[in-house]
Amino acid sequence: MSKEEIFEMMKENISEIIPEIDVDSIDMQDSLKELGINSIDRMDIIVDTMEALNLRLPMVKFGRLKNIEEIIMTFMEEL
Amino acid sequence: MSEHQVGIEAINFYGGSAYLDVRDLAEHRNLNNERFENLLMKERTVPLPYEDPISLGVNAAKPIIDAMSEEEKDKIDMIITCTESGIDFGKSISTYIHYYLGLNRNCRLFEMKNACYSGTAGFQMAVNFVLGQAAPGAKVLVIATDLARFMAVSDGGALMEDWSFAEPSGGAGAVAMLISNKPKIFKVDVGANGYYGYEIMDTCRPIPDSEAGDSDMSLMSYLDCCEAAYTEYTKRVANVDYAKSFDYLAFHTPFGGMIKGAHRKMMRKFCKLKANAIEEDFERRVYPGLRYCQRVGNIMGATVFLSLISTIANGDFTSPKRIGCFSYGSGCCSEFYSGVVTSEGQRLVQKLNIANELTNRYN
Repeated sequence: MSKEEIFEMMKENISEIIPEIDVDSIDMQDSLKELGINSIDRMDIIVDTMEALNLRLPMVKFGRLKNIEEIIMTFMEEL
Repeated sequence: MSEHQVGIEAINFYGGSAYLDVRDLAEHRNLNNERFENLLMKERTVPLPYEDPISLGVNAAKPIIDAMSEEEKDKIDMIITCTESGIDFGKSISTYIHYYLGLNRNCRLFEMKNACYSGTAGFQMAVNFVLGQAAPGAKVLVIATDLARFMAVSDGGALMEDWSFAEPSGGAGAVAMLISNKPKIFKVDVGANGYYGYEIMDTCRPIPDSEAGDSDMSLMSYLDCCEAAYTEYTKRVANVDYAKSFDYLAFHTPFGGMIKGAHRKMMRKFCKLKANAIEEDFERRVYPGLRYCQRVGNIMGATVFLSLISTIANGDFTSPKRIGCFSYGSGCCSEFYSGVVTSEGQRLVQKLNIANELTNRYN
């Protein structure tokens, strides 16, 4: 699966969890935190995406990532 | 018969003398309030200048001791204080508490530390001491006492948005428990323990009056531990089902939103339920334990036991019920364990009138 496809998947999950966010304006370089998404919602976005990708990774792998791209790259390393 | 029975004979909670509505605090600090409701925080105890981990601990323990006969008091062989708010590198808070309670000097006095896991560490040591029968009939007084040391700095980049939410979630208080072979309140499932720990730098207290760390990493580590500790429990206990084996779940509760997220993740992983069913399960099995926690804030080592008290006070115990407890302490160590509560246990806990005590704090 490509980076862009995972990005689209994440955007879908973001809009499901936080409908008020305009996902079309989100860039891969954005950090979820800077988009104003709180830690619980960020956790849900990651869990949802992992589930859709059928991945099982320790959550601590996502604890210090700077932006959405780094999250996607972490998924891709395991795919 | 009583040799193999162990658990909580008596319990009490002291939640300080003043509190703040955390929505007022969040407004005052200009925190993003849009999804603040989702964090499920209501009030936090604010320690006043005359309150410290010792006074909190004494206030929690004194009613238990006052209700005991002299003969019973003399059976207390250990006082274990459990805290990350120690007041000295060497001297244990248990020595002061022992003094203020006026207990017999033939007593072990010491303190335990592993962030918010400390209370469970002390509890499990007490349980094993009773089970070990080295001093038949002896009781252990375990006191988990903590207060938030986070001081919000008004300017400066170090105060990240999420870390600033640590201020509204931080509380103060203590839980005291008498552990013995008369588990009137909570009868431990002996040997039913799954533990999981490893080195991680998530949160810590490197200096006396402040906390530091990475709240994101701490949340992630909590979630990993929740799954790993429970998985270990299932290896040691036959035929466990996360949805059916436990009538209630008492979580270490840094703030409500976090345990809601953890519960959701666990239910998805182990029970494959849909969102609505998970929400209903949260309301039924987890929310009773959240009720007092969301009025006090995180009291670290004592929080899982405040959740246990809240579960016992607010659940339905007309027939005996099993409670699954999850404890996590940064750094880190975690444990999933369980026990059984009867209607007698609920009656004793309801007599404490914790909800009234919380309402009577100064606002």
